[in-house]
Amino acid sequence: MASVPPGSGAHVPVRRTPHTSPVRVLGQSFRMFSPRHQFHRPVMFCVYVLFLLLVVLTLYPAAFPDVAHSYHPSYYLSVTVILFLTLWFANLSEAIAEAQGRAQADSLREIRSGIRARQIRPDGSEQWVASDVLRIGDTVEIRAGESVPIDGDVIQGVAVIDESMMTGESEPVTRESGGDKTSVLGGTRVVQGTARVRVSAVRGESFLDRLIRLVEGQGREPTPNELALGVLLYAFTIALFIVVVSFIFLANFTSIIAIDIATIVSLFVCLMPTTIGSLLPAIGISGINRVAKANVIAKSGKAVEAAGDLDVLILDKTGTITIGNRLATQFVPAPDVPMPELLGAALLSAAVDDTPEGKSVVRLAARRNAPVQRLDPGTYKVIPFSAERRTSGLVLQNGTEYLKGSVKAIEAIAGSIPPALQAEADKASRQGMTPLAVAVNKRVLGLVLFKDVVKPGIRDRLHELKTMGIRTIMCTGDNRLTAAAIAQESGVDEFMAEAKPETKLTLIQREKAQGRLVAMTGDGTNDAPALARADVGLAMNSGTSAAKEAGNMVDLDNDPTKLIEVVSIGKQLLITRGALTTFSITNDVAKYFAIIPALFIAAGAATLPGIQVLNLMGLTNPQLAVLSALLFNAVIIPFLIPLALWGVPFRPRSAIDLLRRNLLYYGIGGLVSAFVGIKLVYIALSYFAAQPFFVGLGTAIAHVLPLGGL
Amino acid sequence: MGIAVQSFWDVIVLLALAIAVAPWFGSYLGRVYMDRPLPGDVVLTPIESAIYRLLGTSPRRQMSAREYMVALLLVNGGMLFFLWWFFFQQASLPFNPTGVPNMTWDLAFHSAASFTTNTDYTHFTNESQISFGSLDIAWQLALFLSAATGLCVMAAMIRGFVRKDGTLGNYYVDMVRTISRVLLPVAFVSGIILVVMGVPETWTASVIAHPITGGTQTIYLGPVASWQSISWLGTNGGGWYSANAAMPLANPTAFSNLFSIFLFLLIAFSAPFAFGQIIRNRGEAWPLMGTVLIVFVVAYGLFVAFQAMNNPALASVHGLGPQINGYPVGQETRWSLPEASLGQVASVYANVGANNMDIGALSPVAQMVLLFGMFTQSTPGGEGTGFGTLLLFTVLAIFVGGLMVGRTPEYLGNKIETGHVKWAALALLIHPATILIPFLVSIAGGFVQVDGSTLPATAHNFTAVLYEFTSESANNGSALSTGAFNDTTPFFNVAGALVMLVGRFVPIWAMLKVGDLFSRQEVLPPSAGTLKTASGTFTIYLTLFLIITSALLFLPVLAMGPLAQIVGGM
Repeated sequence: MASVPPGSGAHVPVRRTPHTSPVRVLGQSFRMFSPRHQFHRPVMFCVYVLFLLLVVLTLYPAAFPDVAHSYHPSYYLSVTVILFLTLWFANLSEAIAEAQGRAQADSLREIRSGIRARQIRPDGSEQWVASDVLRIGDTVEIRAGESVPIDGDVIQGVAVIDESMMTGESEPVTRESGGDKTSVLGGTRVVQGTARVRVSAVRGESFLDRLIRLVEGQGREPTPNELALGVLLYAFTIALFIVVVSFIFLANFTSIIAIDIATIVSLFVCLMPTTIGSLLPAIGISGINRVAKANVIAKSGKAVEAAGDLDVLILDKTGTITIGNRLATQFVPAPDVPMPELLGAALLSAAVDDTPEGKSVVRLAARRNAPVQRLDPGTYKVIPFSAERRTSGLVLQNGTEYLKGSVKAIEAIAGSIPPALQAEADKASRQGMTPLAVAVNKRVLGLVLFKDVVKPGIRDRLHELKTMGIRTIMCTGDNRLTAAAIAQESGVDEFMAEAKPETKLTLIQREKAQGRLVAMTGDGTNDAPALARADVGLAMNSGTSAAKEAGNMVDLDNDPTKLIEVVSIGKQLLITRGALTTFSITNDVAKYFAIIPALFIAAGAATLPGIQVLNLMGLTNPQLAVLSALLFNAVIIPFLIPLALWGVPFRPRSAIDLLRRNLLYYGIGGLVSAFVGIKLVYIALSYFAAQPFFVGLGTAIAHVLPLGGL
Repeated sequence: MGIAVQSFWDVIVLLALAIAVAPWFGSYLGRVYMDRPLPGDVVLTPIESAIYRLLGTSPRRQMSAREYMVALLLVNGGMLFFLWWFFFQQASLPFNPTGVPNMTWDLAFHSAASFTTNTDYTHFTNESQISFGSLDIAWQLALFLSAATGLCVMAAMIRGFVRKDGTLGNYYVDMVRTISRVLLPVAFVSGIILVVMGVPETWTASVIAHPITGGTQTIYLGPVASWQSISWLGTNGGGWYSANAAMPLANPTAFSNLFSIFLFLLIAFSAPFAFGQIIRNRGEAWPLMGTVLIVFVVAYGLFVAFQAMNNPALASVHGLGPQINGYPVGQETRWSLPEASLGQVASVYANVGANNMDIGALSPVAQMVLLFGMFTQSTPGGEGTGFGTLLLFTVLAIFVGGLMVGRTPEYLGNKIETGHVKWAALALLIHPATILIPFLVSIAGGFVQVDGSTLPATAHNFTAVLYEFTSESANNGSALSTGAFNDTTPFFNVAGALVMLVGRFVPIWAMLKVGDLFSRQEVLPPSAGTLKTASGTFTIYLTLFLIITSALLFLPVLAMGPLAQIVGGM
């Protein structure tokens, strides 16, 4: 028998791969200079064309006799170089984002074979295989403690299966061949028994491939918001183009403004929304990457954006809001049974129970100082839990039998339950707890009460969601009372008790009919229709392939709480775009105040009083002023690359509060930083321009380039 | 320094009154377009029904954006042709007692386009070039129809927010109701108020006066009050007299001057509240109104401040002595500086275009203030279309701002998508294009001439040409200074007419299109994550967005004209 352990889920760490090596990224950033690549970026394509124009102008100025004045050739060369830098920085941001995506894809490829199954071949032999290679009709065997690799039907044997991660039902279910209780779901856990399962659904090979292509950035379609923003930037660029062209024409008719083509190109490039234009592809790619970093694979950028828009989250109780397993919280001794006796008996009855419930009994009993009895191997016999008897425990060598089980089962064994204890059990059930009875040698000693435990921190996260205007609905198969208790404790806005698999679909349809955007998590085939209908359907990787096909995101960690994280990432993506657009626009104001005065000063208006009104930054050398603005426009891009890749800092707040803050940081910040930045660049340029080395360099350039002769 | 700035009390009272009346009049205006019961239904509904039957339409027939536009173009195209034919043939048409000759085909085209588009930029002198028939029949008809068209577009666009069946209303019904319920009643009452103040309303063509300086003077008379009231109310801005609102007979008293300003602003200030009424959310009116008021009041403040300052260039002129009175040239001396300035700023900002100052003689900063008003076209802008433009700005502002709060932007529950951005951006893009392209052609082609010779290329002359095209593109109608250059040439007539038509109907189509997109969208319920537009923060954001985007697109335009004048010290 092959002894490869079954892979349970798959954690995908982002590691440094050949794809993220700096050399490769650099190479890619230069390959992006190809016209075909540039053509698809509206704003940057204009810069690209202007760059080519300036290359010609620098090398062969005679082509532009009217508009190229006799500035020092190093001026034209500088403008050309800065334009090149602008383009290169834009390429770099995209190349880095793509490299991150490719690294993610490599890790994904590795997990392709991560989920394994014990296949029974036609000749009866077993073999461990990757679950993707299973075909409909293949037979696999499932055993206690393993995960069900794939959806199928039990054809032989009986298995008790914990489907809580799937249906929210904490009670394990029995599945056996024949009848209508045959289907098992991929990703569920076998608690007890062994069964053979015939595969009924296939994990599509193409599915994973599609995910890999997506994170690699191939086949990434611009999202609706990205398209709309592109239109706005385009319109802005066209309007500025008209404005700038009219400048050039006017130069021939007036001496008010000195028009030099390099200056005009600089003005145009500065005013174009190059900052946001250059970072737009990187922002989009990194949105998917950031989701991927949280170990969630988004099937499209659109899904990530939709996550930011969500109004309603439908959350499963089990696994999302509660830990998923009921834990012992209280001991209730029968009348005239001392507490220590119950504690001791409970401890022994659960001592060899490996389920989380059993362990929780041991933990709680130990905390209550239960009398500890030494259990040596061989001195006892385990009574395993069976679906038929619904009890478990152990028998010591001296024949003492310790049992725990459902109140009904123990009653059947003991013959009767003290009425006071029965009342306690009923009360506990009404409060949403599950009572188990403990018996020693058919004498009922008392009850252990189990309760769903709300995950630590979930209350705060649900509160954050409320701040962002997102309503949460909890879905559970539990009765109303249990559900209400958990809802109360966790702070969800609404709950659906006694939910059936189709409840989620009904809920989604109800919310969508009111125009809301809804998200849910799911992993069962039952969930598939709801996952497909939801605006954001986060499928668990352990779930069935039908669920994963239907959802538009897949969580590799199988943690439904991720949905909350995904919402933040979606919002962050949109905010990053909006913030950088605002930054880009307010930056422009300062650039005007650098270049417009330069146009007048260059025409000899430096001494006129009016110029002081405009020349807020006191840039006296017109060429250096233009270069400063242009250089600032270029270097701001690498400064903002981290922001584009990681997203702007985001904390859940109300919308108006977010607007106020982001306006302050990126609006006012953009305004101030550009004024300060351009001035600093100007000071630096002035310093360098005066250094003998650069003066010499300028002279050398003048000799090489033909422009000096004009 | 500066002239003694008289107290601002009357100006403040007037503005307060205009703002106070706006919510009330706005909700009435909104109800007109909601088919709600209104005072006067008893008398007017049967008449309107008869007109609908005559037009072969019914209020039940609802139009899509395309149908609405076709109907609008049909009416406006008909009006354009009718006006052109009337002006071209006016010598032989009735009501021409003063024997005015026909207009040339190009002047008739310019005039017809000008009146159809609510611009009322004139390339002629009323008294000698337009007949009484042309003035009181053709042009006056256009005063009503063009103003009504603007309001119809606004109503149709707003309906897109609340209707979800892809229809925007019935253009013919909207036109009839705008005239019968808004323009006619208010113009009638205002006309009577003007008559009481001394504005002529007569069929006597002229009287002969014998001034003390000897000789005789012909004073033209006519139905001036009824004409002027709709010209001001409808933000047309044409003057019955060439001298427009500076003519004592059209604007006889300080009170009539204030009253005319009130009429400029009445419908413009009410538009946001009509919007609030139609979308059944009055709170949403205030951010838009707030934006209009902030820009308007700041512009007015700058205008007065710079008009009160002395010209730095004059100080250096030897022997002139200290200057004490700011820029008094070209200002109607009957009003104080604050009064005259409010009239001028309100006229340009509400796209009326009725001058009571000589704009060419203003300080360059004051000229920039006026140009800026025509760049935004929306603070408050012309009849109906001004508010439509403001909504387009709002759509773009919400798009950028909405992203900043981390949701797909939405306005009043309507998602803003690529289509909305495309049309809103087009409407705003067309404006610099229709200013700069003809501007370039006119300069480069040597069409700018005075007395047959090309004008010297000075900043001031550039400003004059720029101002003309800006005014025409914005459908404003104010002129920098008549006679700065010869704009009655075929080139300026045809180019101007085309600029006005494009500047009018392309944005109108964009507004209807945006309304159309909204009318086909699901409305999303608001949540705490939705950007709340009815808030002070949003008001300030919208104001800054409007100012910065307009400034970015038009600053180079200013640089070529007024800014160059400032730099050059005039």
